Amino acid sequence: MKRFVYINDDEASKELCCDNRISNTKYNLWNFFPKNLLEQFSRFMNQYFLLIACLQLWSLITPVNPASTWGPLIFIFAVSASKEAWDDYHRYLSDKKANEREVWIVKHGIKKHIQAQDIQVGNIVWLRENDEVPCDLVLLGTSDPQGVCYVETAALDGETDLKTRVIPSACVGIDLELLHKMKGVIECPIPDKDIRRFDANMRLFPPFIDNDVCSLTIKNTLLQSCYLRNTEWACGVSVYTGNQTKLGMCRGVAEPKLTAMDAMIDKLTGAIFVFQIVVVLVLGVAGNVWKDTEARKQWYVQYPEEAPWYELLVIPLRFELLCSIMIPISIKVSLDLVKGLYAKFIEWDVEMVDQETGTASYAANTAISEDLGQVEYILTDKTGTLTDNKMIFRRCCIGGIFYGNENGDALKDTQLLDAITSGSTDVIRFLTVMAICNTVIPVRSKAGEIIYKAQSQDEDALVAAAAKLHMVFVGKNANRLELMFNGVMIRYEVLEILEFTSDRKRMSVVVRDCQNGKIILLSKGADESILPSACAGQQTRTIAEAVEHYAQLGLRTLCLAWRELEEDEYLEWSVKFKEASSVLVDREWRIAEVCQRLEHDLYILGVTAIEDRLQDGVPETIETLRKAGINFWMLTGDKQNTAIQIALSCNFISPEPKGQLLLIDGKSEEDVSRSLERVLLTMRTTTSEPKDVAFVVDGWALEIALKHHRKDFVELAILSRTAICCRVTPSQKAQLVEILKSCDYRTLAIGDGGNDVRMIQQADIGVGISGREGLQAARAADYSIGRFRFLKRLILVHGRYSYNRTAFLSQYSFYKSLLICFIQIFFSFISGVSGTSLFNSVSLMAYNVFYTSVPVLVSVIDKDLSETTVMQHPQILFYCQAGRLLNPSTFAGWFGRSLFHAIVVFVITIHAYAYEKSEMEELGMVALSGCIWLQAFVVAQETNSFTVLQHLSIWGNLVGFYVINFLFSAIPSSGMYTIMFRLCSQPSYWITMFLIVGAGMGPIFALKYYRYTYRPSKINILQQAERMGGPILTLGNIETQPRTIIEKDVSPISIMSTQPKNRSPVYEPLLSESPNAIRRSFGPGTPFEFFQSQSRLSSSSGYTRNCKDN
Amino acid sequence: MPSNNTASSSAAGSSDSSTTRRNSKRPKYSKFTQQELPACKPILTPGWVILTFLVISVIFIPLGVVSLFASQDVVEIVDRYDNDCIPPPSRADKVAYIQGAANKTCTRTIVVPKKMKQPIYVYYELENFYQNHRRYVKSRSDAQLRSVRDENQIEGCKPEDDVNGQPIVPCGLIAWSLFNDTYALSKNNQPLNVSKKGIAWKSDREHKFGKNVFPKNFQMGNITGGGRLIPNVPLSEQEDLIVWMRTAALPTFRKLYGKIETDLQENDTIHVVLENNYNTYSFDGKKKLVLSTTSWLGGKNDFLGIAYLTVGGICFFLALAFTIMYLVKPRRLGDPTYLSWNRVPGGGR
Repeated sequence: MKRFVYINDDEASKELCCDNRISNTKYNLWNFFPKNLLEQFSRFMNQYFLLIACLQLWSLITPVNPASTWGPLIFIFAVSASKEAWDDYHRYLSDKKANEREVWIVKHGIKKHIQAQDIQVGNIVWLRENDEVPCDLVLLGTSDPQGVCYVETAALDGETDLKTRVIPSACVGIDLELLHKMKGVIECPIPDKDIRRFDANMRLFPPFIDNDVCSLTIKNTLLQSCYLRNTEWACGVSVYTGNQTKLGMCRGVAEPKLTAMDAMIDKLTGAIFVFQIVVVLVLGVAGNVWKDTEARKQWYVQYPEEAPWYELLVIPLRFELLCSIMIPISIKVSLDLVKGLYAKFIEWDVEMVDQETGTASYAANTAISEDLGQVEYILTDKTGTLTDNKMIFRRCCIGGIFYGNENGDALKDTQLLDAITSGSTDVIRFLTVMAICNTVIPVRSKAGEIIYKAQSQDEDALVAAAAKLHMVFVGKNANRLELMFNGVMIRYEVLEILEFTSDRKRMSVVVRDCQNGKIILLSKGADESILPSACAGQQTRTIAEAVEHYAQLGLRTLCLAWRELEEDEYLEWSVKFKEASSVLVDREWRIAEVCQRLEHDLYILGVTAIEDRLQDGVPETIETLRKAGINFWMLTGDKQNTAIQIALSCNFISPEPKGQLLLIDGKSEEDVSRSLERVLLTMRTTTSEPKDVAFVVDGWALEIALKHHRKDFVELAILSRTAICCRVTPSQKAQLVEILKSCDYRTLAIGDGGNDVRMIQQADIGVGISGREGLQAARAADYSIGRFRFLKRLILVHGRYSYNRTAFLSQYSFYKSLLICFIQIFFSFISGVSGTSLFNSVSLMAYNVFYTSVPVLVSVIDKDLSETTVMQHPQILFYCQAGRLLNPSTFAGWFGRSLFHAIVVFVITIHAYAYEKSEMEELGMVALSGCIWLQAFVVAQETNSFTVLQHLSIWGNLVGFYVINFLFSAIPSSGMYTIMFRLCSQPSYWITMFLIVGAGMGPIFALKYYRYTYRPSKINILQQAERMGGPILTLGNIETQPRTIIEKDVSPISIMSTQPKNRSPVYEPLLSESPNAIRRSFGPGTPFEFFQSQSRLSSSSGYTRNCKDN
Repeated sequence: MPSNNTASSSAAGSSDSSTTRRNSKRPKYSKFTQQELPACKPILTPGWVILTFLVISVIFIPLGVVSLFASQDVVEIVDRYDNDCIPPPSRADKVAYIQGAANKTCTRTIVVPKKMKQPIYVYYELENFYQNHRRYVKSRSDAQLRSVRDENQIEGCKPEDDVNGQPIVPCGLIAWSLFNDTYALSKNNQPLNVSKKGIAWKSDREHKFGKNVFPKNFQMGNITGGGRLIPNVPLSEQEDLIVWMRTAALPTFRKLYGKIETDLQENDTIHVVLENNYNTYSFDGKKKLVLSTTSWLGGKNDFLGIAYLTVGGICFFLALAFTIMYLVKPRRLGDPTYLSWNRVPGGGR
């Protein structure tokens, strides 16, 4: 499917008609009510309540005033509808603002000022510096003579660096005046949401260059919501407008995630529903039997002899209505409310603010806090997540000579400085590659300093290091690069950039040396992708050793290489490259293939080693969370050795005697299957031993394992607490999450880069680190935090409290509803099983909405254990993980409690208010007061920490109950006129209340005490210890000061005796890799090595197919 | 699987503003937002628990005794007459008798067992009478009772709503089935005045039953239910009706018939001449005449006293049991040795 956009031609583009009106709103004025209602009624609970409410309109069967259901129902609907309306109104306002922004466009050759919403596809739009791009444009011209402009894409992908955009080659050199009259056609794909890809072609009509199809890429576009920077003006033709822009297509409503707890609550609701149906059936039958045997004798009831056909249904339906309150109508609202508050607590937490950047944590998804407390697996990215992603160039190896080995800093290595001054060719070439083989943009600040805008931290580190070594990358002017070496200006012209992809694992540039006109290929990349392409004569052993050596130090390595190209070779290749760049299908793969043809016979210059420090508190965090019973998997694109090093240094795996690493590797299916089996066998036998066993698998082996031995691998996943998966692609990360999820584990994925987005979205909980690799991950995530170590607090404090609180709140909601329902059921046995309600409508309505909802809401600030205790005893999380606080058996306890309390209230009420006192309104109110009193004491008993708020709400609610009822009792027309005044003046009323409380709470209190003292849960023990200040609290103080971490960082970590120091890692993408680079890895570690041979090419058709499957 | 990259999950229009907002806005510190409100964390130490139970029992047992005494102080005379007031020949078919036209006057003799201080309440007690039946309890119109303007509001009153299209006032099954046994008491052959004034709730007389609402078409339907009303007395003064219309929540209930405002001495003999009009025979309902004094807790009702004694006793027993348990098997609270984190490694499920 393609779209043809005719530049500057209103008629031809008419069929695309779509204007640039952005609309994010869900509703408009007319459809708000029907649409919102329809949406709300798509939920089962709401349908159920509506059915109940409708049944209540039938006065024959309704036990109480229909208002008692309609009231809360309308209230709840109004609350969520107004929330929706409010959100939508704000969306409307922001859309309006965007739509009415003034932009310049060209119409019939004249510049015009119009509103952004009136832009049509095919219009030429003019932008000035710092303007926001109103729709997706294809660049036609810029103020820069070379046709370059810079954009900031933060709103689109969260990356804050500047990106370069260039005009298509066909437009180069077109005069400013002519741009107005330009005509042409752009053949582009139908709108999609891939912001990394725009595979289109353009052809200009005469008088412009005809017949020449010019390929367009994302590099030639200005996407909506980007900002034009450092460029005076730019103009482009709009290709996608309105909601069809890339950004507009990306917008989507994320599937709401359901927590394990929600699922459990739904299950329990289902159980209660079944119970309710049973009760209704039993009572319905009993009622009909009683009616036929007894009620006919009760002449004063006047049952007619002739009954309508529905007579048999009347009593069951009445009971259905009476029992409908069993399922608390308020539970969803209460849960939404408290979940919102949990999220707020996370955002408010000052201990989770990154002091360095001042970034607070952010909960994008407010509904899944409880899941944090139930996490079983954490899948973590390495670079930027465990490490700082603050790259520092530390060492290098040039031509077999190691620099920086003595003092750990090559920049201060005199040997290297000497080599530079003496002008050693290798070293200078090495520095040149460091300085220009990248996509860094140098920007001169006002003070005259040069600031590098880099997309990848590695490149930034390399360019900065080169500058310190006197090879200063001064300026980039379109295709011209300016280097200042020892005060001498060297110019290069960039011919092509062979970009980095996660599959290629390297990038290259082709430049022409302006001094001597030579064409040079400069490459840098992972050793496994560079070394195989080394020229035949070169010994790569020293290089490989250097890589190995640096990897063991936990440094990220890059190999730099170089080759001089013949003019012919370049020209020949360049045609192919252009061809590949203009295909619409599978462009990325085709380009990779073409690049492969150029990147061979490389002369390896050397290896750079970049340090990426572990973040503060990472080992402690991992240790604590592992103690909490959470299993860690590390998924990284990095090399095996560096991954293992990092894993060791952050307590991920234990060193030798205690821990054991099992390797799954192999290039072929048999190898992998054999090694998988061996690992499984070891794993099975060692599960009984207290030994830390971890398996290590690389991307290739994983690919095979998942394809052919999925079952075995799943078993391994279940058996293993720790795993290191190295060299995995983003899609494999997501696959691993999927596997763990399929085993019913709660997974949390944490990462910081675009390559983690898929994993984060896939996992039950996605946590993004708002780090240096942009905000992509943080945006896709449910939670974003500043540092890895906040994860500990997020899980142990916020997750755990949320779980505990919701567990109480939900079960309590059922308890209180069941309580009042049981009383109604008991009462029906003494009212001729006819379905009379003991309570009046007002009470029933207010019971769920006012009397019982406030105290329990305050349980959101209840804390069973203090934060420090939890941090010291992370094992306590087990109670949440295993769902010990909300499961059918705890629910049965609450069920039993409500049954017991119902019996207490009912029996005492009907005996204390017997004979002359058995007036309907009074008796109902006595029973209701009894319930309210018990509620207050139940909440008080279940509260672990009383703050002012708790006291206020629990006892204030009790007072509020009387106030409300006094008010109702003062209205002469209400059914309960004077009732409450009468009751409160009777001593017997108060005596009855005390009796109900004593009889209802005594046994429960005794039981709690017995359990608490003689069958204590671990939580209880810690509570006691906390209060007693016992020795536990001084044991095992895990909380460490930030200072000690640095110490740890420096001190050598045992194992692997070869390794003197433990540094932080490692290699990963050179450029922030695109999240949609989800293709499978090309092959074993050395992907392109046999590419020249045709055999590889022929086998690549399989690969193409795979791409499509993906 | 489609590559779903970057910003797909957030509404992009607003997301950039939220990004900047959250970057710039550090959370404010307050005790509430940090969940650090000063809190009292009570724990269940044996001392406190035993003390609590002891205190409860110390309060409850005396209260129970007091309640029991209060109940014992009440003198109550209960005389069941439904069976005895049917002449023996008619006892085979009581329903026919009660529905017949025969003279239903009946005389009962009651001996006062103990001195009864005034006021002495005269109740009638019905058993197995379901005033709380769903069909019955709803069959009334409060609006109609309150104001003459609303006399046509009879929707809820079926099947006793109208006669030939004319609304019945008061309508509904409750009014229709008004209790109509009457008692004439005499002490030692002196007529004993039973005051029928002020037996209904004051609020009902003043606000629920209108002063200008008069009975209309009452008991004029096909079947006659219970008692009749005096046509030219406003409902607010028909206190028997007002009492009757305060429906009882239990199938056994007493309703106030009147008050005796003189003391009764021990061994006084009271003769009751009663009109046994009300049909409880079709459903085997008992009818009783009750004379009772009252205490601060109300009528004679041992339940509260016994319940208090029971709960107090149980609490005392629990306090004792916990004390013994504490002495025999002391257990240190918060003992770290009970903390064993022996979870099976490898995802214990």
